[in-house]
Amino acid sequence: MTAPVRALDVSRLPTTVFGHRSHMWWGTLGFMLIEGTTLLVCVASYFYLRLNFTSWPPEHTLRPSLVWPTVHVVVLLVSCIPVALGDRAARRLDLPALQRWFVVASAFAVSFLFLRWQDFLALNVRWDTNAYGSIAWMTAGFHGTILLLQVLETLVFTLFIFTNDFEEKHFSDASDSAFYWYFFVGSWIPLYLTLYLSPRLL
Amino acid sequence: MTAHPVAPAEQVTIDPLDPERLERERRALERSWCSPPGLWGWLINTDHKSVGKRYIVTAMAFFLLGGIEAALMRLQLARPENALIGPDEYNQVFSTHGTTMMFLFAVPILMAVGLYFVPLMVGTRNIAFPRLNLYGYYVYLIGGVFLYAGFLLNVGPEAGWFSYVPLAGPEFSPGKRSDIYAQTVTFTEISALITAVEIIVTAFKQRAPGMSLDRVPLFVWAQVVTAFMVMFAMPWVAVASQFLAADRLIATHLFNPAEGGDPLLWQHLFWFFGHPEVYIIFVPALGFVSSIVETLARRPIFGYPVMVLALVVTGFMAFGLWVHHMFATGIPQLSESFFSAMSMTIAIPTGVQFFCWIATLWSGRPRIQVPLLFVLGFVVVFIIGGFTGVMVASVPYDVQAHDTYFVVAHLHYVLLGGAVFPLFGAFYYWWPKVTGRMLGERLGRWHFWLFFIGVNLTFFPMHQLGLDGMPRRVYTYLPETGWGPLNFVATVGALTIAVSVAVFLVNLARSVRGGTPAGDDPWSASTLEWSTSSPPPSYNFHLIPTVQSRSPLWKQAPAPAVVTGLRTDMREILVTTMMDAEPDSRMRLPDPTIWPLVAAIATGVTFITLVFTPWGLPIGAVLITIAFIGWGWPTRKEHELQLREEREA
Repeated sequence: MTAPVRALDVSRLPTTVFGHRSHMWWGTLGFMLIEGTTLLVCVASYFYLRLNFTSWPPEHTLRPSLVWPTVHVVVLLVSCIPVALGDRAARRLDLPALQRWFVVASAFAVSFLFLRWQDFLALNVRWDTNAYGSIAWMTAGFHGTILLLQVLETLVFTLFIFTNDFEEKHFSDASDSAFYWYFFVGSWIPLYLTLYLSPRLL
Repeated sequence: MTAHPVAPAEQVTIDPLDPERLERERRALERSWCSPPGLWGWLINTDHKSVGKRYIVTAMAFFLLGGIEAALMRLQLARPENALIGPDEYNQVFSTHGTTMMFLFAVPILMAVGLYFVPLMVGTRNIAFPRLNLYGYYVYLIGGVFLYAGFLLNVGPEAGWFSYVPLAGPEFSPGKRSDIYAQTVTFTEISALITAVEIIVTAFKQRAPGMSLDRVPLFVWAQVVTAFMVMFAMPWVAVASQFLAADRLIATHLFNPAEGGDPLLWQHLFWFFGHPEVYIIFVPALGFVSSIVETLARRPIFGYPVMVLALVVTGFMAFGLWVHHMFATGIPQLSESFFSAMSMTIAIPTGVQFFCWIATLWSGRPRIQVPLLFVLGFVVVFIIGGFTGVMVASVPYDVQAHDTYFVVAHLHYVLLGGAVFPLFGAFYYWWPKVTGRMLGERLGRWHFWLFFIGVNLTFFPMHQLGLDGMPRRVYTYLPETGWGPLNFVATVGALTIAVSVAVFLVNLARSVRGGTPAGDDPWSASTLEWSTSSPPPSYNFHLIPTVQSRSPLWKQAPAPAVVTGLRTDMREILVTTMMDAEPDSRMRLPDPTIWPLVAAIATGVTFITLVFTPWGLPIGAVLITIAFIGWGWPTRKEHELQLREEREA
């Protein structure tokens, strides 16, 4: 190359950015696409196996219960409110508000563990009963790993924002955490429809 | 506090050639980007070049192991009723050969070349998420060692690299052989998925200012398309392998027809990954070929926009072919017609690229050096594989050829032609950049011709063997079949390949010991990796360049600007906008740490425990959580550095 004589000075560019300007946002998006695909595979397998049965759920297998799974969906949707408020606080670099909303989000996160357990019970079938039970458990289980990840991440991150180790750049991480939260809630809706409602319709 | 507004980079004129200042900056960069010395430093090194090299060396080791297995099979089949290895060992040998070559060699090495060169080609100092990158490598290594530990303990996979159920199910594959296969697949998928995300984020957000999307090298485009294919294809086999593990471990019935499960579900899930997998291996190689052709033809590649479009179209179409692996399973005729037509149509974008390379060579001033020889070998061998591919895309023909040696011939022509020839070409082309020394041209020519002759001698007779009815995966055959002579020829070919690989290794060793020094740009090439030293320093570029053309080292303004203002006292990189690569923010990359290794070991313990008990899941969740907390929590030094930067910002 010709010897450089001009320079593009980038020293005044910001170091804390949000949304699609942030690396972590893109990384999070990448892992959402991957995890979204794993859930899609589960749903595709669910309907593929449906073709092997004359009735769904198969004979002598109870239909899934609706109460707890529906409660769970409502709680999931409501949980997006404190998370969205936390996201806004992060974007304002408002630490006290961020702490407040993430404590609320953590409480929701803990409730998900109980509610996911109820989801499994509400399937009313064991994983080793028949292929219907197997795929229903596997689908809820794969989303369960995302849920577990989200719960652990939320709890640890909430602890972290109360420590002195918190830095400005972590506001951006909080925002990306909210971004992932919406995915984890949003991706459960089609699975809920598949696992709990479709057996009543198909 | 308020969020920072967008502060556009300011263009100023300075004199960056002030030698004292340059030297001061260089020393500071050296300090910030170097890894601690010794074994510890090696274990925690997050430099993409170091991790990329480890992937390449490890994958080559697996290539040699897979090659030894191939040689064993060929020796066993050299004559009828040979008794070198028995049926049970043979099952494990061919299954481990396929699993190794697809999961432990081809995908990792082709993406690893991207890990090494994408940051250099886009003009940045490291890959996005460098700690994750190191973690991915360790997970891959653990997966590979796990597979071979099983193999050596007589618990190697036994149901082929695609591990069809019910053969791989609990009934017909008792013991742990198929579980080891299933979890090896999981390890390699984790590593490939991580690499995919890193390559996409690096290519989208870390390009040097001015490298708009229409100036991105075709090599990088090929890596990005591959990465997207990995993201959408690999989860299918990752889920499928967990389904298989669950059927075997906790008695689910996903593939068990007695309880409403379906063996064909496995085939759909596997091939929805497995067919794109072929293109995941082939597309990066297209990137290598484009780089080599452009440089050695000494002109910019002909038809750049069409080439990019062809790569993207190939990426999409690769997902519409999977059922052509299942023509013999009795699927509906309409599906057969659709997938048959799609399988023939995908030849079009590949054909477009071939014509563009021919046009580039035709209108350039080609230098027939070893990298280009391998490209020409790729053209010949891959086209033969492509032709037989169009043949087996036809349903009536496929039903005849299915499960015969014709398919073995076809797939080896496609994979060796489509990936291994370009890979060897890439070795000769980029080795000087990685090591600072040239590879021997004379030995390179010996390597090429022995390999070219060996490949054709091994696999061409297999077409005829398939037509004669020789089935795949048999450990021996009777003399009356008349398959002996052609099998013997194939074995001679395999030994020729072995000799060619030995010549290659000698060439590498001689280059390391005393090869001709390469200098920064031995080929007079056009892309940014050749503008830095060979091997590149830990920070890649002393001054981050700006780009004004597709061939920045060939066509630039008289005095191209360089980037200043990035901090040199910490690992800071420039983040640019996705479309136009305009400077947007600065970002500090984390320092090296041991936690990626700890997290990889935790992941390893999880999946290996899952082979034996479902308790692996809760145990693993705890271990991995601990590892990731350690990983994410800033150290005192990092924290102080960061606070200082935030104050100054």
